[in-house]
Amino acid sequence: MRKFKPEIILVGATGLGRDLAGAVATDLATGLTADCTGLDIDDRGFLLQTRPAFGGNIMATILTERTRPQMATVRPHVMSLPAKDSSHTGVVIRESPAIDEVDIAVKMLELIDDRKHGQDVDIAAAEVIVSGGRGMMSKENFKILQELADELGGVVGSSRSAVEAGWMPVERQVGQTGKTVRPKIYIACGISGAIQHLVGMQSSDVIIAINRDKQAPIFEVATYGIVGDLFKIVPAVTDRIKELRTKNEQG
Amino acid sequence: MNPVSDLGALGFVLFWGLTALAAGVFLFRGYQLFRLVSLGRRSEKFGQVIKRALTALGHVIIQKCQFKNITREDRGGVGHLFIVWGFLFFVTYYFFFIVIASGFGIPDVMEHNKIYGYYTWVMDFVAPFIVIGTVWGIIRRYIVKPARLKGQQTAEALIILITVLIHPITHVGKIATQIAAGHPPAGLGILTPPLSTAVSHLYTNAATIAKWHSFWFWSHWVFVLIVLGMIAYTRYLHMIAGALNDLLRRTPPKGTPERIDLNDPSSFGVDRVDNFAWKQLLDSVACVVCGYCQEICPATFTGKKLNPRLVIRDIKTNMLKNGPFITKKQAPVLPLIGENQEGSVPMEAIWACTTCGGCMEVCPVYIEHVWEIIDMRRHLVQMQAKFPDELLNLFENTEQRSNPWGIAPADRAKWASGIETKPFEAGKTEYLFYVGCAGAFDARNRHISLAIARILDAGGISWGILGKDELCCGDSLRRLGNEYVFDRIAKDNIKMFQDRGVKKIITECPHCYHTLKNDYHQYGTDWEVIHHAEFIRGLIKEKRLKLNGNGDLGKVLFHDSCYLGRHNGIYDAPREVLARTTSHTPAEMKRRLNRSFCCGAGGGHMWMEESIGKRINHERVEEALKEDPRTICVCCPYCMTMFEDGIKDLKASEKVQVLDLAEIVARALQ
Ligand SMILES: Cc1cc2nc3c(=O)[nH]c(=O)nc-3n(C[C@H](O)[C@H](O)[C@H](O)COP(=O)(O)OP(=O)(O)OC[C@H]3O[C@@H](n4cnc5c(N)ncnc54)[C@H](O)[C@@H]3O)c2cc1C
Ligand code: SF4
Ligand code: SF4
Repeated sequence: MRKFKPEIILVGATGLGRDLAGAVATDLATGLTADCTGLDIDDRGFLLQTRPAFGGNIMATILTERTRPQMATVRPHVMSLPAKDSSHTGVVIRESPAIDEVDIAVKMLELIDDRKHGQDVDIAAAEVIVSGGRGMMSKENFKILQELADELGGVVGSSRSAVEAGWMPVERQVGQTGKTVRPKIYIACGISGAIQHLVGMQSSDVIIAINRDKQAPIFEVATYGIVGDLFKIVPAVTDRIKELRTKNEQG
Repeated sequence: MNPVSDLGALGFVLFWGLTALAAGVFLFRGYQLFRLVSLGRRSEKFGQVIKRALTALGHVIIQKCQFKNITREDRGGVGHLFIVWGFLFFVTYYFFFIVIASGFGIPDVMEHNKIYGYYTWVMDFVAPFIVIGTVWGIIRRYIVKPARLKGQQTAEALIILITVLIHPITHVGKIATQIAAGHPPAGLGILTPPLSTAVSHLYTNAATIAKWHSFWFWSHWVFVLIVLGMIAYTRYLHMIAGALNDLLRRTPPKGTPERIDLNDPSSFGVDRVDNFAWKQLLDSVACVVCGYCQEICPATFTGKKLNPRLVIRDIKTNMLKNGPFITKKQAPVLPLIGENQEGSVPMEAIWACTTCGGCMEVCPVYIEHVWEIIDMRRHLVQMQAKFPDELLNLFENTEQRSNPWGIAPADRAKWASGIETKPFEAGKTEYLFYVGCAGAFDARNRHISLAIARILDAGGISWGILGKDELCCGDSLRRLGNEYVFDRIAKDNIKMFQDRGVKKIITECPHCYHTLKNDYHQYGTDWEVIHHAEFIRGLIKEKRLKLNGNGDLGKVLFHDSCYLGRHNGIYDAPREVLARTTSHTPAEMKRRLNRSFCCGAGGGHMWMEESIGKRINHERVEEALKEDPRTICVCCPYCMTMFEDGIKDLKASEKVQVLDLAEIVARALQ
């Protein structure tokens, strides 16, 4: 940083990025806006850093007026990918500074895989989650969710009730006392949407709810709601996706 | 007859020497314990000393400690009544007729009046009762072994019971030999005490009677002195420490922990026994190991590591072990919070408590287990940041967004989007309806908020809400030991209420009720806080609601919430409302009123996973289903979640519905 003195430093608000950005900003004695959802540059060359504030009630736009560089971390997937524009002529400089082990406070001794066995998945990292609740009726029925998830390249999650009933392992529980997830697509099948469940998944990008009870609170947070029997709808959706995919592959 | 003076000067030396020795042992230990208990922190002040003293004395005499726990299933306390009342007579007897009469060599003066005659009669009737009480105790403890006395078949208990037995036996022996020797208690002519007279016929050999009398006298007195010494070293101590504990009781409400001085880091919680308040250490000394607390505790009952009796025992063991080191300004040798050894309270036990208050309700010597548990949580949270993982979200959400789920505060008034509500404004609205987080955000519990709103409107009440400005009351944070954030929330709330001129508050949730009313009272507030059950009762009494009976509720079963019932004594209001609304007295569970069984959500458990033992809500739902209700009536949003979840888990949703009292009333409105 000291070598290139950039005006602006952007870091992805990933687990690693958040740690790194904070440390760098402290070292450079400059400001940092974490978790931005929007960025722009005004006519004076200031970076306009937009992020939700006060518990999401307002959007705050923050400027770094007095110090340089201007730093921000940006939440993954919040901005759409623009089309390629070849008129821009910037250069990408790759810098790989030599790091001496003595500069690092942490020493890695061993990498331990905490996934218990090969099958376990980390639902918190998944981009697509198909979740089932008490409406699934039995352990075997989760098969249809697995099929849909496989089709979408996702994983299967569950409500606490399904864990309680022994249909799903506790690592798959989404919600207040389970995992908090933010996938691109969350499909809730046979889940009523108790607040304890909602808090674990409501910031997913797209929520699709399948429930036969149209009063179910899950529909309050759903982007798309399907009222009906999941045992008919889920296989139908899976089949349709398969169909579309084969069509795409052929055509 | 005086076996003391019979031995001449030696007799008096022996009598007073032994007596002084026992008194010395007693006082030495008493002083030692006093020193240990004084290691504790200074705490709240106690006022009204005379009133307290009279109450405590009254409690001992009427044996409130026992009466409050005698039930149809457990009559063990009756045996205790026999022993204690008998003992009170014996102690009086010892003082007048042994210490003064024999000790000062004036038995003739004392024994030649009618009072002595009467008194020996009384003692003749009292003695068998003590024997019955004691034998009953031995049989229950060592043969019947009810659940309450599980794990308490100790040698100490047996020795104590046997020493109790010796008093009446040696006493009767003494009076009987006195009668046989031709010195019956004077004053009543031939009307000598019946039992002793009957026993006196065993002594026919005139030559040995005097020796026998001497034997009974001395063995009697020596045993009394042995017991005196034992009092200070064994559980006998409860008769003194228990009464003291009653005398020095903290002022109610129960279940509201002491406020801590946030400028003094040493009071941020307890991980060393001397960080407890002295009253908490006295608690540990007073425990009589009766097991009532372990019997009622929902955590113990469902197989968690917590047993309130053992928490108290561990605190005592820890104090006895570490006390001498602490007195010498050395580091303690036994950790207060730690695993698998007597004298250390396991972390898991500390987190398992739902603060239901059952233990404090039944404890005969007024021990306040919950206050102690919360103090240890305070240490874990505030000094070590060691707490169950799930709580991190709760703490962060409540601190940052003032609700446990971290939902945007702007959504707080959403529950009321379909109805007309007014913002609370002093002068324009009389009551503040404080909805609470569950009532505002939880889809199921929003129905309760709507029902209450409907009832208030139907009753013609002028009320308003704070809408998106409402904050969490902080109940869970406080019970979980996060006093620092609770303190901030409390101050914010109090400031807002004062700024807006709030004087009367109606709450939906018993936890908000308790916190706004009792916890905030520690900050000097004294507004009127009313739970909806009480408020609705008032409306019905004033005939402000037109109720038209109720259709499809079937058999209605009522569940007492801990924070309404035990912590605040509100038992009748909801039952009365139910009776008036449904025209039937509600059905009851076996564990009810002040012996009710927690739903499992209190003390922050609403936010914690419960993976050890049986789920508390399953236990309670099973108990409810035994009564075969159609409707279960609750008065608390947490109970609502716990019952609904439990009923679904036990596959009973087809048969049973759970409704809040307000919903039942709202349905019955014309
Ligand atoms: C301390 C505590 C912590 C908790 N933590 C969590 C948590 O982390 N995560 C969590 O999920 N829950 C949690 N809960 C539980 C929560 O309160 C709810 O009980 C739970 O989320 C309900 O799960 P569900 O939606 O699967 O079941 P239900 O509420 O029973 O809903 C089943 C739904 O399936 C629908 N359905 C049934 N059959 C069909 C069909 N054939 N087709 C379509 N729809 C159908 C029904 O209409 C119904 O809406 C917690 C509870 C407590 C007390
Ligand atoms: S308050 Fe309730 S849960 Fe806690 S120790 Fe006492 S009885 Fe057990
Ligand atoms: S704490 Fe109270 S209720 Fe529990 S065993 Fe001791 S005296 Fe009995």
